[in-house]
Amino acid sequence: MAKQLRWLRLDNAAKIYPAARRREWSNLFRVSVTLTEPVDKAVLQAALDVTAKRFPSLCARLRKGLFWYYLQELPEAPGLSEEYGAPLMPMGKEEVRKSAFRVIAYDCRIAVEVFHSLTDGNGALVFLKTLTAEYLRQKYGVSIPCTHGILDCAEAPAAEELEDSFLKYAGPVPADRRERTAWHLSGTPDRQRLVCLTLDTAALLEKAHTYGVTATAFLCAALMDALQRLQKEQVSDRRRRKPLKVLIPVNLRKLFPSRTLRNFALYTTPEILPRLGDYTLDEICKLVSHHMASEITPKQMGMKIAVNVGSERALAVKLLPLFIKNAVMKAVFDTVGERKSCLTLSNLGLVVLPEEMAGFVTRMDFILGVQAAAPHNCGVISYGEKTCINIIRNIRESRLEYHFFRVLQEQGLVCEAQSD
Amino acid sequence: MYCSNCGVKLADSELVCPLCQTRAYHPDLPEQTGAGLYPKNKQPKKPRRSPWPQMILTAMFLLAGLIVLLCDLQVSGRVNWSGFVLGALAIGYVVFALPVWFRRPDPVIFVPCSFAAAGLYLLYISLCTKGGWFLSFALPVTAVIGLIVTAVTVLLKYVKKGRLYIFGGALIALGAAMLLIEALIVLTFGVGHFALWSLYPMTALVLVGCLLIFLAICRPARETMERKLFI
Repeated sequence: MAKQLRWLRLDNAAKIYPAARRREWSNLFRVSVTLTEPVDKAVLQAALDVTAKRFPSLCARLRKGLFWYYLQELPEAPGLSEEYGAPLMPMGKEEVRKSAFRVIAYDCRIAVEVFHSLTDGNGALVFLKTLTAEYLRQKYGVSIPCTHGILDCAEAPAAEELEDSFLKYAGPVPADRRERTAWHLSGTPDRQRLVCLTLDTAALLEKAHTYGVTATAFLCAALMDALQRLQKEQVSDRRRRKPLKVLIPVNLRKLFPSRTLRNFALYTTPEILPRLGDYTLDEICKLVSHHMASEITPKQMGMKIAVNVGSERALAVKLLPLFIKNAVMKAVFDTVGERKSCLTLSNLGLVVLPEEMAGFVTRMDFILGVQAAAPHNCGVISYGEKTCINIIRNIRESRLEYHFFRVLQEQGLVCEAQSD
Repeated sequence: MYCSNCGVKLADSELVCPLCQTRAYHPDLPEQTGAGLYPKNKQPKKPRRSPWPQMILTAMFLLAGLIVLLCDLQVSGRVNWSGFVLGALAIGYVVFALPVWFRRPDPVIFVPCSFAAAGLYLLYISLCTKGGWFLSFALPVTAVIGLIVTAVTVLLKYVKKGRLYIFGGALIALGAAMLLIEALIVLTFGVGHFALWSLYPMTALVLVGCLLIFLAICRPARETMERKLFI
């Protein structure tokens, strides 16, 4: 008898992504690991076959119901995908219906590209670590313990790993949705381009600590300073300058006791108002740090979850057919979605691997896809001694990257630049 | 190697600085030859668009037209009322089905085409009914409204800012067109006197148009409206 395939409702954060998708754009991100030797594709496929069964919510495809989209577990792991001239090639409707994630092997690199409805960066990182560990076990026969976020593929997936934690941890009072509209970056439309800035993690942390902030807050402040310089270059009249806001995703697993492998992240958007005058990096660091400290608490995030979950729970919304929901969600996303921030800065933090595995891994990368309307996005990840800042854009001009580098350079941080 | 312009350290694969686009060159150093992050010039094949949706749509329009034509021929033995239905189907096809054949249908072309189709349909009705109202009424009304809608479409496509001005101006122009429509009705159909009913829609349209232009000019008012009408 054919195996009954598991199906899952989309979690609260995932619902917007299929509706907001366009022909040329879908919300994707990539995590990748670079090994010391070229990847053996046959072994990687075998490792993927084993790992896929452990992650039924991630190794899934997106299907349509009458009222909602849903995820369906894949009967078997998909084949490896090809690497192209740039990461995160758009995932068309047909591809998402077959498999909403890709595993790509190129040279020494194993990359996982995920449609955001499946999981967030942390869920994908757990999958990538587990897949890489399984690959190394099969290829080199090393014994790698199931610690540091590596899951045991022999175990069955736990119910907590598949739950929608948003529903569980919604606060009693919804937050206010109103936010100021941010400055919209623009440029000459072009193909997707990537600039990777690599810098020393210890130097970055030391510099952040001299300002009394975390590495994420420091990088966010540096990016806001770069945005401030760019806006000054493009908008000469100070009164016409708009708020500069950077969206920072917050991993809610650190605030709530959740083990979910699905989306469980919200965001906070620190801002500066250049109309009031020029900000120094020190001022921006203080603003960002204060904003993050006051926003990233279980109570504040519970309020934000409550407002999102509230609209999903309304009976009238539930009863609307999917095509109407899609049209409404797309309209809301296009009108409001990306106007509340200039770009996203997502930091997956320092990745630590078991000693037995660390010797095989030289580098890790995290790349966010471009936004639907705004041209930039930024993904950060640290591994070993290096921090990789991947800035992606779909315009020709690289002024933001240039200003960002100048801010870091002025702080004495040495960066190495590489492009796609 | 370091970029000679901005000073960033360049990876071995970089022939041009990715930050300032300066060529990576140093007379004393060998040319950069490292492997890039991604395979060069390798692009995925673009999936071919399936022609089925537009074929099915066209077949549906043709089938509907054929059924109507056969029914009319069966009942009256000639093309009688079916001509009007076929004309309406033709307009429907130009407006809804024709753009589907194109990958990126350009509204600047299709909007005037739709109005031209509507004009031809009205000409057909006028000739069939021997109304004699096409040149004196239908043509100017279709042309004026078509001109306003096409102008809005062109401005929205090519002018990135000033949407409030565009919509405000279009509403005022539509208001003025109301007066023209009433005048043409009186002249063409011999109603006899101006009832001035057109003043009501004209006033409403001009007021809303002026409000939009006021919001476009007055920033605090615009921001207040944005705050109040936030979705």
